[in-house]
Amino acid sequence: MSTPNNTAAPARPLDLSKWRTVPNIAIGIGVVLTALTAFTNYRQFSFSWLLAFMFYLSLVLGGLFLVIVHHLFDAGWSTPIRRTVEHIACLAFPWMAIFFLPILLNVLFAGPENLLYEWMKRDAHTDHALHAKQPLFTKAGFYIVTAACFLIWTFLSRRFRSLSIAQDASGAAGFTRTMRFHAAWGAFGFALTLSLAAIMWMKALTHEWFSTMYGVYYFAGSVWLTLATVYVITMVLQRTGTLTAVLHEHQFYFLGSLFFAFTVFYAYIHFSQYFIIWNANLPEETFWYQLREQGTWWDIGLVIIFGHFLVPFLGLLRIDAKVTFWWMVPLCAWAWLMHFADLSFNIMPVLHPGGFVLHYADLGTWALIGGVLAKVWLKDFADAAPYPLRDPRIKEAAGHYRIVSQISGGELDETDGLVDGGIHTKGSSCE
Amino acid sequence: MNAECGMRNAEPSPGIKYGLLAEYDTAAAIMHAAETIRDAGFRRWDVFTPFPIHGMNDAMGLKNSKVGWFSFIGGATGYTLGMLMIWYMNAHDYALTVGGKPLFSPHFAFPPSYELTILLGSFGAIFGMLFLNRLPRLHHPLLKHRRFARATHDGFFLVIECTDAKYSETETRTLLEATGSRHIEVIEE
Repeated sequence: MSTPNNTAAPARPLDLSKWRTVPNIAIGIGVVLTALTAFTNYRQFSFSWLLAFMFYLSLVLGGLFLVIVHHLFDAGWSTPIRRTVEHIACLAFPWMAIFFLPILLNVLFAGPENLLYEWMKRDAHTDHALHAKQPLFTKAGFYIVTAACFLIWTFLSRRFRSLSIAQDASGAAGFTRTMRFHAAWGAFGFALTLSLAAIMWMKALTHEWFSTMYGVYYFAGSVWLTLATVYVITMVLQRTGTLTAVLHEHQFYFLGSLFFAFTVFYAYIHFSQYFIIWNANLPEETFWYQLREQGTWWDIGLVIIFGHFLVPFLGLLRIDAKVTFWWMVPLCAWAWLMHFADLSFNIMPVLHPGGFVLHYADLGTWALIGGVLAKVWLKDFADAAPYPLRDPRIKEAAGHYRIVSQISGGELDETDGLVDGGIHTKGSSCE
Repeated sequence: MNAECGMRNAEPSPGIKYGLLAEYDTAAAIMHAAETIRDAGFRRWDVFTPFPIHGMNDAMGLKNSKVGWFSFIGGATGYTLGMLMIWYMNAHDYALTVGGKPLFSPHFAFPPSYELTILLGSFGAIFGMLFLNRLPRLHHPLLKHRRFARATHDGFFLVIECTDAKYSETETRTLLEATGSRHIEVIEE
């Protein structure tokens, strides 16, 4: 590993103006490919859209989680990156709600052969698995869950961002207390809605199956993806000079540590889910994994074990790896690829039971939603201060400390300012 | 090994020299002294303070600890041993079919192997730490020094061992004086 060089101000701010057109190109290509599939192969379009939607929902919900967890822990170190994740969380409404429309339209109007969720054409009186999941697995249940999810995500993400921006102007500590209050109940609301969303929109593709870990499984992968994304965004914002004044090495170290933690956490959850089902050996559970052992899905499973866990695990194990950019950036890009493979493994075997198929609609829907979200995020980010300017914790994060400790987060790293110089009484009280 | 090291003083104190002990008043003073000693190229020296001083690792030029390697090797050994043990017992030495499952599978062998990974990983960490710190030892020359007890109260101490290649009783003492130490003395074994 080379010597990390993160805390130094960039010699010349990175100029990103020539990359501005990338989201537009992505949207352009995405619209063409998506429209093409929507009219020629509607069933493929629906599944590809669901895959892309769930992928970006991961990012948005991961962002909301990082805001909540910042307030819950009264964290100091993550203050400079909080505005970044506040904007990511705010993509939930209206944009993720708009991107949910094709799924909603499928539920409302698609014929039996094109319906995403097969349970919707089953009768609960004759289907035991569906009967056991009443009243959640009814169309009314689906609509109520969908509405509740977007309601809570919208309220929380908008509230956190507006309070945070309002604090930029006044600097009042009351805003922090209000945000902490919303984080406290929001943690429960977040856990409940994320689990319900993962169950109703993704797991329900095969409604007979059940896994108590499915919500937390989606959560683990989601936060993993968001941490990789936030790491790269923070690095870019440091290079452009936007966050240089408030960033230190420990922000990157802690982001890398969380990324590492969620690598392990995801593996732990996914292995536990697999292990319990493998060990119990009940046909109504094992069929889900049996379907995912057919054809090249078997290989995707191995890609997930080694690529989603082992490679990042070994790659992030060393302390210095977490702050070495040339090492971290490919790993973060790899995380995007792996999360895509993971969600594909969850969604696509229903459509392509014979093996993994990378359809151009997968890329098209992914580019379209990604391009729009990138544009919205860039605009939102430009419209507000790049970090919470007058957060009570920002001085702690921005102080001119000697940041070397991996434990303290920098709070006690200033020794020149300690007040022990003049008032030293040499042990008189003890001797 | 320095030529002066281990030489006996003239009578009546027949001790073997251990090193030079310098005392400082403040955390900031000892931090700057550590930077000076680091830059002078000393290798066998240490700092003793009543509380952890953040930034001291950097001031002393300490690199990341090697304990992680012991832990990693311990963990890898534990995982391999666990898998081998379960394969040997369930599939080789006393093959027994349970619930129609394979005689060996990495799935059911994983939890015990994982636990052995943690056990031997932590053994690697603790014994690697003891080994690197040259512990346990029954006695340390600094412990019989009366003033040194204040390292747990209000004293900030820096010790340069005489086994350091750069050690010289007169020059090192001058260097320590220049860093602002208010009390320097020779420690005997």
